[in-house]
Amino acid sequence: MGLLIVSCDSDTDAGEFVVGADYLAIKNKVIEIDTVTIDVSNIKLDSLVTSNQSRILVGNYDDPLFGKVKSDSYFQVATTSFNLNLSSDTESTGYVFDSIAMILRYDDYYFADTTKVQTLNIRRITQNFKPNKDDKSFYNSSSLTYDSPILGTISYKPKPIGRDSINIKVSNEFGLEFFNKFKNNEITSYDDFTDYLKGFVISSESGNSNSVIGFNLSSVLRLYYSKGKGDAGNKYHMDFAISDATKQFNAISSDRAGTLIQDLPLAKANLSSSLTGNKGFIQSGTGIVCRVDFPNVKQLKYLSEKGAIVDAKLIMKPVKDSYSKMFPLPESLNVYVVDKLNRIKTTLTNSSGGTMVATLTKGNDEFDEIVGYQLSVGAFLQKEMLKLSDSKSGLIFTLPILSKVVDRVALGDQYSKESQMKLQIYYISY
Amino acid sequence: MVLVFFTSFFSHSQSISTSPYSLYGLGSLYEANFGLIPSLGTAGVALSSENFINNKNAASLVDIPENNFFFEVGGKGIQTSFENSQRVENRNNFQFSHFAFAFPITKKSAVSVAMMPYSSSSFKISGLKIPIIDSSNEYYYLDVLGTGGLNNLDFSYAYKVSNKLSFGLTGSVLFGNTTDNRTYEINNSVTTIDKKVSYSGIRPILSTQFKADPSLTFGLNVKSPSRVNASKIQSVTVTNTSGTYDLEDEVKSNTDDFYLPLEIGVGFNKSFKNKLNITFDYEKDFWDATNQSDLYGTFANQEKFGLGFSYQKKKVSRNYFDRIKYATGFNYDTGYLEVDNKKIEDKSFSVGLSLPLDQLSSSLFISYSYGQKGQITNSLVQENYHKLTLNLNLDGIWFVRKKLD
Repeated sequence: MGLLIVSCDSDTDAGEFVVGADYLAIKNKVIEIDTVTIDVSNIKLDSLVTSNQSRILVGNYDDPLFGKVKSDSYFQVATTSFNLNLSSDTESTGYVFDSIAMILRYDDYYFADTTKVQTLNIRRITQNFKPNKDDKSFYNSSSLTYDSPILGTISYKPKPIGRDSINIKVSNEFGLEFFNKFKNNEITSYDDFTDYLKGFVISSESGNSNSVIGFNLSSVLRLYYSKGKGDAGNKYHMDFAISDATKQFNAISSDRAGTLIQDLPLAKANLSSSLTGNKGFIQSGTGIVCRVDFPNVKQLKYLSEKGAIVDAKLIMKPVKDSYSKMFPLPESLNVYVVDKLNRIKTTLTNSSGGTMVATLTKGNDEFDEIVGYQLSVGAFLQKEMLKLSDSKSGLIFTLPILSKVVDRVALGDQYSKESQMKLQIYYISY
Repeated sequence: MVLVFFTSFFSHSQSISTSPYSLYGLGSLYEANFGLIPSLGTAGVALSSENFINNKNAASLVDIPENNFFFEVGGKGIQTSFENSQRVENRNNFQFSHFAFAFPITKKSAVSVAMMPYSSSSFKISGLKIPIIDSSNEYYYLDVLGTGGLNNLDFSYAYKVSNKLSFGLTGSVLFGNTTDNRTYEINNSVTTIDKKVSYSGIRPILSTQFKADPSLTFGLNVKSPSRVNASKIQSVTVTNTSGTYDLEDEVKSNTDDFYLPLEIGVGFNKSFKNKLNITFDYEKDFWDATNQSDLYGTFANQEKFGLGFSYQKKKVSRNYFDRIKYATGFNYDTGYLEVDNKKIEDKSFSVGLSLPLDQLSSSLFISYSYGQKGQITNSLVQENYHKLTLNLNLDGIWFVRKKLD
């Protein structure tokens, strides 16, 4: 009797026999929705902190979409030794000034056309480095007063890859005075030094630059001097380094006159993509970011009594011809969740707290065609759909590096013909 | 002992052979047939309960000899080959089928209790590719695992109005649950919907038998339309590139109740010279009237035809072989399920015999049937099955009070 009660399947069911696929599809409907409205707008962030970024960013270029982009770099140099006498010789009277130069060492950053000559000018700052009181920072909009005479200049073809540094000769007049301060023991402390030499600003000559170049903070002001006369004399040099990164910042600006975004308002206000040629603009350094909203997503709640957005793909295409080798596309875009007033609430994260980014996807064909930036917004939209309050969150897209580069992207909006922004929502009723 | 049996039954009766068709409704409906009925093309509305408990017509219980106690247990072994236009696959299954006892309580009345499966929802679907609605040529993939089923506990009472006419009343209690675990792979997401539905309901069944003469009996069995209450517990989880989110976690809710149709069965049984027996059943189940096609599948009125022949040389004989009853039959069932506008028919042929175990009615009933269900088309599956049924009826004389009287 016991045997009879035991029931067993002796063969495993691979599940390959199905009847009624249609019936299965009716019980739980899986729908793709690609008709949800996407609003794109442009915002200029208040200001970006550009001090303590460890990059001297200098240059300017004319961007066909973003206008005249420019970065000037301010920094302070200092030394810990105030004695010209580097050897054990106590006599300093025998030393003679030779020359002085600014040695700028490339880091790996460059943007726009580096095949064209760029002219850089060095001027002397006349104002103390006084950062913002609240966060002790300087911004892309900060500036310090400086003497108009040019202390040093260089016209060169930037070779950030391959070359190590550029050497800008600084005026002998300044160099000799500087040298004598040391020789006469007029500078014996840090305070003496910064009081005398507050710092430098390096800027490009607007008519003579087609690129923006990054130099690192191992760049130095080098003073050359010697003992004894003629070639036989011993040659020395003394380096003045950028020892305090918080006293180095880049003033990054753009003149957008004549571009689609010339009317970009400040901060809390948005400029709809319908007024900017159906494009959304993102530019680091200047703080231009693109905001994306899904104003009608709550209506999906009424698709069925019970339903969920299980996945959603936002595909954002860069505007055709807006990118090239010279204007490369970043591999990803950062995403922030923002409120109505463009205040950043959080980065877009997954359920385990990891940051989500929009990733540049390329097609599989031989031309490596750009598909666009893809971002999974299923969980975000599901949350937005179920929100009980009227508040709606939007997404702000920025480049991965916000304040020490001038890279940029232009994205098509939902009405763009050639680079249409798309949202594919996958919805299931249960 | 009865309790032990019932407990075992609860835990095991829900695993009946798998069938892709059991996706629909409450699952594949299960016919438990007692005694020799499986050999007779499952015809039995006009059969007597003289030799075994006839579960096809409660009115027949009055035929159980006085002071006898029938106890029946049955099991089935089924080998099914599933075949569609692409492949053939065999599956074997063995299960406990039913358990019942019956006895007269007075000269004119009798009762029975029977426990059997009512339906089985056991199926598996792997990687079914389904187009996404409104998409441009996109698909999602579905896995489903269905388990469970409903049990049937029948309490019957029969009353003999006269030697020719008897009535029966059955309260058929239906209970059980089905689980349905679905996994949807949609784009880069995986959604699981796990559902457990519990059912309960009671269904009255009226039956009668009329003996026109000692060799001719007519039977009628009417199962009333009834509602099976359903409630479900569901969990829904979505996993996508953003992580895993619970949309529902064991949420209890009411779900659509299931409606059983009015079922009317008629039959006759004619014996010739007390040796040869012909029995015929016709049943019609009015599924159309339940109006639940959209919810549970497409249901249509169902008709069943059963025809059985049996032969027994002598009821009482010293020769054991004379007492063996041989039987054969045919059954045709139009089915109630319509898939792609095709009814899922079931046709079968059966043979069998009953082996007496004592001088009373204790017997072992062995039946073999071969049948076909469904058909081979692009969307349907044909199930060819070999079914071996073993039913055991144990007959005992219980308190012989008559002698004391």
